[in-house]
Amino acid sequence: MSLSLVHTFTGHTDKCWATSIHSKLPLLATVSGDRTCRVYNLETKRLIVVLDDDSHSKTLSSVEWKPTGEFPSLAIGSFDSTISIWGNEEAVLEDEDNWTLMAIIEGHENEIKGVSWSHDGVYLASCSRDKSIWIWEADDNNEEFECVFVVQEHSQDVKHVTWHQHENVLASSSYDDTVKLFKQDDYDEDDWVNVADLTGHEGTVWSSDFEKKGERVTRLSSSSDDGTIRIWKILHAADDQPSIDSKLPSTIKTDTNQDMWELETILPIIHHGPIYSVAWGENGYIASVGSDGRIVVYKELNSKEWQIIISQPHSHGVYEINNIKWHGDRLITAGDDGLVKLWELAL
Amino acid sequence: MTDLINAAPKVLNVDQLPTREGKEDRIEQSGYLPGLLSLSVFNVPFTEKSSPGSTPALSDSSLQSDDEEFESVDALEIYDLISSISDPEHPLTLGQLAVVNLEDIQLDDSGNPNEIAEVIIKITPTITHCSLATLIGLGIRVRLERCLPPRYRIIIKVKEKTHQSENQVNKQLNDKERVSAACENDQLLKVISQMLSSCK
Repeated sequence: MSLSLVHTFTGHTDKCWATSIHSKLPLLATVSGDRTCRVYNLETKRLIVVLDDDSHSKTLSSVEWKPTGEFPSLAIGSFDSTISIWGNEEAVLEDEDNWTLMAIIEGHENEIKGVSWSHDGVYLASCSRDKSIWIWEADDNNEEFECVFVVQEHSQDVKHVTWHQHENVLASSSYDDTVKLFKQDDYDEDDWVNVADLTGHEGTVWSSDFEKKGERVTRLSSSSDDGTIRIWKILHAADDQPSIDSKLPSTIKTDTNQDMWELETILPIIHHGPIYSVAWGENGYIASVGSDGRIVVYKELNSKEWQIIISQPHSHGVYEINNIKWHGDRLITAGDDGLVKLWELAL
Repeated sequence: MTDLINAAPKVLNVDQLPTREGKEDRIEQSGYLPGLLSLSVFNVPFTEKSSPGSTPALSDSSLQSDDEEFESVDALEIYDLISSISDPEHPLTLGQLAVVNLEDIQLDDSGNPNEIAEVIIKITPTITHCSLATLIGLGIRVRLERCLPPRYRIIIKVKEKTHQSENQVNKQLNDKERVSAACENDQLLKVISQMLSSCK
């Protein structure tokens, strides 16, 4: 198996930190240290718009399209500690004048490292060097964002947040070497419970991604500065049936509010140095990138055995690769060279 | 800075410090350096400026900042780049204070300009609780990121047992996001450019 380069998106003048592909429309958004967000048509490969009106004063570190809504919109997180929301309320996506800044969200004290929308588009999570994760409730038109909960369970920078594709479960990765999972409380929807701590990585956890199989949370992959990718499996989900002590505050009934997770396996080690991004595809494959410039794709043989089917060095020349995403059987990578590359798995 | 963190640091004489600059004889004397040198001569790529057939001489060290023509360096050249950085607290360089030492620079480089290379630098803070260790490390990183080609991965650590919070400092100095964010902090950049102003 090999990767073939389909297209290279150029234009950023500084490191590209993250990308996002719209779940329904052929839209690709990329963000960079050049403080701009570029939006491309993934089919024609044409640049649609550069979102850049000085709304951010520092690096744009993260971006994610909202999965729902009448019109496409996205959230951008910046090292300037704010989040901006952009959208296109008109029918013509290709007209750059239709893309407007809809909101600026303030609250974090330091650099924002990650933003992510829940599957239903109701919640936006953001994480920061200030060690916190904020959960914002969004309205349909992206006009108002109300902070409904602030998670302060991590002891260090929170590097990345991602939601499960069907459940309101959030996974956060941190400089404190852990991944934590949070679930919306069954009785108080504005309360978010820390249902599991995944410990074992021996360095900053840079990212995580849920398995895309099924409706419920099954497994999670996490990538770390320690050069490993770990696969975690849920054994027993926190009791979601009403129980006798259901009227007690959530802090007391900790036992019933804990998920049971175990480390299932560590993927074959091939990266040298930090692994900045991991992505679990709908095809079941896992892909990873990092400081060593390698794109690695792993295939599961059985529950504890994974095989490396692709390991491609120098995918962005001698530069580091910050982010990888699946798009069907294609991959999108973003590098320190400012380039965004679209790859196809050649069987 | 009224209260110095380390009021009486040990200072080395500038003449005792190793350097490539104008001291060709030193290089010849060294046992392992000729090997390294021949390697890097071999790998210096032909740039537009070098006329065909001419072998770029290592001695005309083009290691000034913003010069991206060279592709290979050795430990001594890296030492020259960072030993001239000023200490944030004393009117002395990191070389004079023995914060950076030639033997604590490790280079893993095939010399191939298309391959990723690794530089590991261990710094020796002047005192074990030096709160400026991260700033010094950041200054070294900024200097090297500006001077070395992008294929070099720079790893900066405090030397074992020379700092109370060794692991914390190491983690911070090698965290890509923290370093990037620090480089967007104007106050910090001002201090660093002061530290780098003494560099040749």
